[in-house]
Amino acid sequence: MQTPSSEILTRVRGFLQENFLYMRPDLELGADDRLMERGIVDSMGVLEMLNFIETEFGVRASDDEISEANLGSLRAIAQFVAEKQTAAAA
Amino acid sequence: MCGIAGIARRAATGVSVDALGRMAAAIKHRGPDGHGFYVGQRVGFAHVRLSIVDIAGGAQPLTNEDGQYVITYNGEVYNHIELRRELENKGHVFRTHCDTEVLVHGYEEWGAQMLQRLNGQFAFAIYDRTNETVFLARDRFGVRPLFYAQREGNLYFGSEVKAILASGEVEASLNPLGIDETFTFWAARPPRTAFQGIGCMEPGTYAIWRDGGLWFHRYYELDYPEATAEPRDAIEQLDEIMRSGVGLRMRADVPVGAYLSGGLDSSITSALAAKASPYTLRSFSIAFDDPRYDESEFQRTMAAAVGSVHAVASIGQSSIAESFPSVIHHAETPLLRTAPVPMYHLAKLTKDAGIKVVLTGEGADELFLGYDLFKEVSVRRFCLRRPESAMRQRLFDRLYPYLIGEGRGGEFWRRFFMDAGPTADPLFSHMPRFMLTSRIKDFYSAEFRAEIATADPLGELRASIPTRFFGWSPLNQAAFLEMTTLLSPYLLASQGDRMGMAHGVEGRFPFLDHRLFEFASSLPTSSRLLGLREKEVLRRWAKRILPPRINQRGKQPYRAPDAPSFFAPGAPAWVNDLLTPDALQRVGVFAPASVAGLIRRCKSGQATGFRENQALLGVLSTQLWHHDFVEHPASVSPLSARTADVVLTDAVPVHS
Repeated sequence: MQTPSSEILTRVRGFLQENFLYMRPDLELGADDRLMERGIVDSMGVLEMLNFIETEFGVRASDDEISEANLGSLRAIAQFVAEKQTAAAA
Repeated sequence: MCGIAGIARRAATGVSVDALGRMAAAIKHRGPDGHGFYVGQRVGFAHVRLSIVDIAGGAQPLTNEDGQYVITYNGEVYNHIELRRELENKGHVFRTHCDTEVLVHGYEEWGAQMLQRLNGQFAFAIYDRTNETVFLARDRFGVRPLFYAQREGNLYFGSEVKAILASGEVEASLNPLGIDETFTFWAARPPRTAFQGIGCMEPGTYAIWRDGGLWFHRYYELDYPEATAEPRDAIEQLDEIMRSGVGLRMRADVPVGAYLSGGLDSSITSALAAKASPYTLRSFSIAFDDPRYDESEFQRTMAAAVGSVHAVASIGQSSIAESFPSVIHHAETPLLRTAPVPMYHLAKLTKDAGIKVVLTGEGADELFLGYDLFKEVSVRRFCLRRPESAMRQRLFDRLYPYLIGEGRGGEFWRRFFMDAGPTADPLFSHMPRFMLTSRIKDFYSAEFRAEIATADPLGELRASIPTRFFGWSPLNQAAFLEMTTLLSPYLLASQGDRMGMAHGVEGRFPFLDHRLFEFASSLPTSSRLLGLREKEVLRRWAKRILPPRINQRGKQPYRAPDAPSFFAPGAPAWVNDLLTPDALQRVGVFAPASVAGLIRRCKSGQATGFRENQALLGVLSTQLWHHDFVEHPASVSPLSARTADVVLTDAVPVHS
């Protein structure tokens, strides 16, 4: 099933705010903010975030795809998920 | 092994025996076999005794022949027999057979230079009644603790902070910088502690108090004069030092037992102890109900191989939460791990078996580069030479297979290590640990953040590094940081001395014999870490005494189950009581809203990661620590002079 990019972005942002940013309520998370560089998700947290993304959007990332390019920001994630869903639907 | 405490006054207004009695009572667990006092006009000493050497004659405080020097002493000087002979040859007359008396005569003969001659683990105070000075000293690596406080020119000291607080003259309050260091390094860096205005003597130092002032001096420096090639007789040298180190540590008038984790280090100490012991060796270990942490199979193998009578304490999740308040009471600091809890139970098991002294394997990982951190340093440096090489970075996956979960660490996992800082930083080796630990600071309250706004624990650590550090190899630099930031302030304290002495059990550490440190630190690092194979020379030598299955075993990180135990059904009520917004605000370190989020995630089983696990423990232990020491300090009934083994006073003149 195809999810609009903007909705993916909103849902992932909500997940991060609830699970990784609950102790930093004053931090505003922009679509292009680098998640690692800003200390929002660490290497351990990536797996937790990935688990959410895979379950929530019905996609599966290979080890090679667990990368900064695909998961480094909200916008990158939205694009990655949308592309995976498109590929699965094709 | 014992507990010591004392007061030295700027003016000769007297020290009350009641205050000394309370100080002794606060640390009675360290010395359940007896107590004693020296009560003077200017200085008072207290001592609680765990009798191990010269059971009949070793009561303290104790003086030299003419009464000039009075000592209160905690520890063991293993070469006391040899030193005694030397002192007797110089005309000193001994009344007892204990090592304590060697120290008073040694100090009389050599002054502070005596410390260079001691092979042991110790913390003591000697009052020179003629010159009215107090000499405080702590062993080279910080095995035995010694805390101090100064108020209006008066000096207070004790084996534990609670002895100082029991004087009734030193208040407990939170030291923001000590707390912030704890949440950077796992423990405050001596001399800092979690308590405001209470210091911890640095290992390898002594201090002299005179006329209300306290002056510190270092008598032992860690050094790494690395040779370019391993000496041909390295294995023979190692054999001699290890056997002698264990042999010296078997000296006691009570049976000596051993902790046996099933790993290489404690297997070595147990095997040598079994050979050197006149009794059948008693060995002790911890087993976890959770099979992920359980090493009992290896423990049984090793116990069978050395022929020890082995006992096991089994730890379940509920024991962690139940014992945590007692553990914090003894550790006297916030903690980021529950690992001290099993050590607390292990000491109880040992005491219940009637054993007061155990050999343990601590120190081997620091001396022989056993920790994964050292491999990580090598891998990070290797990768940073060609940062574009994905193949090189896959080495990180091999390093921590038990952490990356399903092998899906990916690029992020590796990037964490790649981005942890430049190789030019003197803290390069430890930055991943310091960065991970510091994540707990996300939970700080705004007020606490403001209070420590100018704190710079990493900058202070960098500034404290001695010049010679910059001439050492990267692995030796890492070893130095490990010895100074973790071994003494955390491992030997919160997992070592405090948990053992909570039950009156003395740990002895053959790997922390300074001769062994000096031998190991002069070897090429490749003799200690060869590629990714740790403790290389130690394994080569240990073939002589261990079954191959143990000797070839890789390092198992010592871990204990954490967060879930605090929220499982039947978890103790204090968990919720100390985490209310009111309770958090009273302490002020953590933000109630952030902690509420953490609790929600713990209760729903979502807080499974390292980051939140350590945050929960940091919050819980800080709350417990504050509750125990700052908000509700226990009042203790003083130990009485009437029941003391010895009470010395100034009525005994100094004979000149």
